[in-house]
Amino acid sequence: MTEPTRYGRAQGGARKEDERFLTGRGRYADDLAVPGAAHAAIVRSPHARARTAAIDVAAARAAPGVIGVFTGADLVAAGVKPLPFVPGFVGEDGRPARSPARYPLTPDVARFVGDPVAVVVAETAEAARDAAELVAVDYEPLDAVVDVRRALGPAAVLAEPDFGTNVAAFHAIGDAVRVDEAFASAAHVARIDLVNNRLVPNPIEPRVCVGEYDTASGRYVVRLPTQTAQSTRNSIAASLGVAPERVRVIVGDIGGGFGMKTFIHPEDALVAWLAKACGRPVKWRADRSESFLGDTHGRDQWVQAELALDRAGRFLALRVRLAANMGAYLAFIGPVVPLRAGVRVSTGGYDIPLFRFEGRAVLTNTAPVCAYRGAGRPEAIYAIERLVDVAARELGIDPVELRRRNLVPRSAMPYRNGVGETYDVGDFAAVLDRALAAADWSGFDARRAASRATGRLRGRGLAFYVEWTGGEMTERAVVEVHGDGRVVLLSGTQNMGQGLETSYAGIVAEALGIDPARVEVVQGDTDRVLGSGSVASRSLFVGGSAALAGGKDAIEKGRALAADALEAAPRDIEYAAGRFCIAGTDRAIGLFDLAARQPERRFLGEATVTFTMPSWPNGCHVCEVEIDPETGEVRVDRYSAVDDVGRRLNPAIVAGQVHGGIAQGIGQALLEACRYDADSGQLLTGTFQDYALPRADDLPAFALGAFEDEPASGNPLGTKGVGEVGAVAAPPAVVNAVVDALAEFGVKHLDMPVRAEDVWRIVAGGRAPR
Amino acid sequence: MPKRLLTLAVNGRRHEIAADGHALLVDVLRDALGLTGTKQGCDGGECGACTVLVDGAPRLACLTLAASVEGRAIETIEGLARSGRMSALQQAFHERLGTQCGFCTPGMIMAAEALLRRTPHPDEAEIREALAGNLCRCTGYVKIIESVRAAAEARP
Repeated sequence: MTEPTRYGRAQGGARKEDERFLTGRGRYADDLAVPGAAHAAIVRSPHARARTAAIDVAAARAAPGVIGVFTGADLVAAGVKPLPFVPGFVGEDGRPARSPARYPLTPDVARFVGDPVAVVVAETAEAARDAAELVAVDYEPLDAVVDVRRALGPAAVLAEPDFGTNVAAFHAIGDAVRVDEAFASAAHVARIDLVNNRLVPNPIEPRVCVGEYDTASGRYVVRLPTQTAQSTRNSIAASLGVAPERVRVIVGDIGGGFGMKTFIHPEDALVAWLAKACGRPVKWRADRSESFLGDTHGRDQWVQAELALDRAGRFLALRVRLAANMGAYLAFIGPVVPLRAGVRVSTGGYDIPLFRFEGRAVLTNTAPVCAYRGAGRPEAIYAIERLVDVAARELGIDPVELRRRNLVPRSAMPYRNGVGETYDVGDFAAVLDRALAAADWSGFDARRAASRATGRLRGRGLAFYVEWTGGEMTERAVVEVHGDGRVVLLSGTQNMGQGLETSYAGIVAEALGIDPARVEVVQGDTDRVLGSGSVASRSLFVGGSAALAGGKDAIEKGRALAADALEAAPRDIEYAAGRFCIAGTDRAIGLFDLAARQPERRFLGEATVTFTMPSWPNGCHVCEVEIDPETGEVRVDRYSAVDDVGRRLNPAIVAGQVHGGIAQGIGQALLEACRYDADSGQLLTGTFQDYALPRADDLPAFALGAFEDEPASGNPLGTKGVGEVGAVAAPPAVVNAVVDALAEFGVKHLDMPVRAEDVWRIVAGGRAPR
Repeated sequence: MPKRLLTLAVNGRRHEIAADGHALLVDVLRDALGLTGTKQGCDGGECGACTVLVDGAPRLACLTLAASVEGRAIETIEGLARSGRMSALQQAFHERLGTQCGFCTPGMIMAAEALLRRTPHPDEAEIREALAGNLCRCTGYVKIIESVRAAAEARP
């Protein structure tokens, strides 16, 4: 028997789920053949804010192939309720946080460009789109605000005038007086004022949803790619005004989620309502331009941070003020991202005794903002890691040395950070050292000289991060042992490309001592399994630990059944490698033979695990950029990372997760920006022509190292979350490198994405490199 | 618009399909022929998920009128496996973890297949250039590049 912390490691890198993806047999929502399905096309507001005074649907109703045309007023009249969002936040006045009511179609006022106003259902998608053009909405445009800084300014336009403020939610942490005192007596204060750029998550699979309604049972079925089937089901039910059990959400393969495909989007509830209203299954599929308009966006924070240091360069206190753009409506967990999730790691890997945070979640007339890979932690780590570099430059201390002086030492673990969170384990200094060695940090001067010789600028940057992962810390697993030789694991987490079918099958197979090929993984069907889904890098350590416990429980359940079958006492039954036997004898029964003898030819193990300790992945990423002074183009030339994500069950999958996160982080740093026109509120970046995703020729290979000496203490697998770490670490590593390359021009900070034009202007206006 | 009869040769089989004259190849493949391996991830020509081969060269099925490729040899992801066995390129993507969520994968593999047919032993820069029209949001392209390299190295 292998030791428990090595569960699932025996397998190789290749994944169970690959073959259907590689041969074109993936089962994505758009691939489903839905007999009799009608198609929906949505009329979206072209205005950032406008009263939808009158909507004339007569021409659309009369168009060929049209089955029905509906407006928000129709939905409200039919009793449809607003989409829910999580409670528990308060505004600056201490009253509960408010959001404009968000119906699947807005009945009165459109609050951002892309806000759904009406829907056409027709025999074909083409007919629906054509008829949608004929819906005549009499818009009465109103003043709008899209930029978060403007939204907080004096005499700001109010996104929702009835509220009297644009601040929807406010959260403060820490003792302001003590922090002020620390700043007043500090030898040095470093400051940064930055914008964490708004991003569009853009999984390559657009959102698709198919609603069905069964008159006989009164039940709705919604098929869609969601990371959180149960929560999405509950929100659809809340909007429809029915009990959750009357809605079934079924998830097939998901073509990437990245936090965007979580919780509830208006179309999820809309297709369910339409299916009943039209008496047909109804399908809606987002165009890419609709994805840009209507998917939840990510980031978009204005952050002002200050670090107080003593004469020796020790960090005394950190003050963070942030304003997070929430868009026009609070998305399901919108305020959680900046006010609860990100702030947990505001002090990063450093021992900073005093901390003060003031965060405002701000309404604007833009698409709602919610989780995107990292969800708050990338913003927090970007702020502290930029700030530490600013401090190092101002004090003339090497940025590695300044970090080394302030990292939380291993001897201090478990360590309670200034925010009040407790890191269980970690050896940050060792991770830093290993990352610097892997990056050949000391060889930089020679590389910079070589770049100079070709007329190019070179800079290097590093970022040390600590990440919080976990979210809901409870998950259940059911392990069915079937007489036909299969084991079925049911898990309420959700595969979306992160290899969970492989990892979970490995865990269950190893617990049972059987071939992983026998294990099937079932997720994403609320009639079969409930759970909190895949968010916050929780799946493997929470869901995987549940799978392990479920496998062990199957052995215990089997032991009792085997005792009956073998006519022995349960305590005398031993289990190994797929067989129960009476200790010290050759009397035995196979796992699957035992299942075949049970009613329904199967037996079950089940387990619910609940953890108290989140996982705290940490790591150090090092980036070197080269800049062409003629064009200002920034190229990532070298990128290496050492990540402590605890024990790695499948190193290839772990590497793939880190690679993807780094690519998204480099995208944020150098390419991606979602822009609205500041006055009109029009979305300026609505296609892949205007919004640049990283492409294969934009990126280098990444050199990864692992650090497994400090496995997570809070779960039996010893794993820490890995899905988001790259997106947390890469933006500061890249921008620190760019600023380093441009330091000779007096550059202290550049906002993301760092554009060639900005760099060119700096270089052209400064001293040319020689 | 009146429908007309199209004869398409897809993965070595002839299909007769009644389709609008302006029907796009991606819709005909997915809806009429049920070949849903070919994906659509953008509104036209920006993401590469719909890449198929026409006479061995990569083509974006979302920008191609089905009627314009009558009589040409069309290959999709479903045609690469032979008697249930994945091709060497598919196998390389499997062994090197060149797929994560799988959505860009069919287009990515078809673009790589076209590359390897015209350049059997590409270097990394050539691979990156050949795949630059295919967006992937999961992998950072690292293991995709490794997969294509591994397939190329295994070739004679």
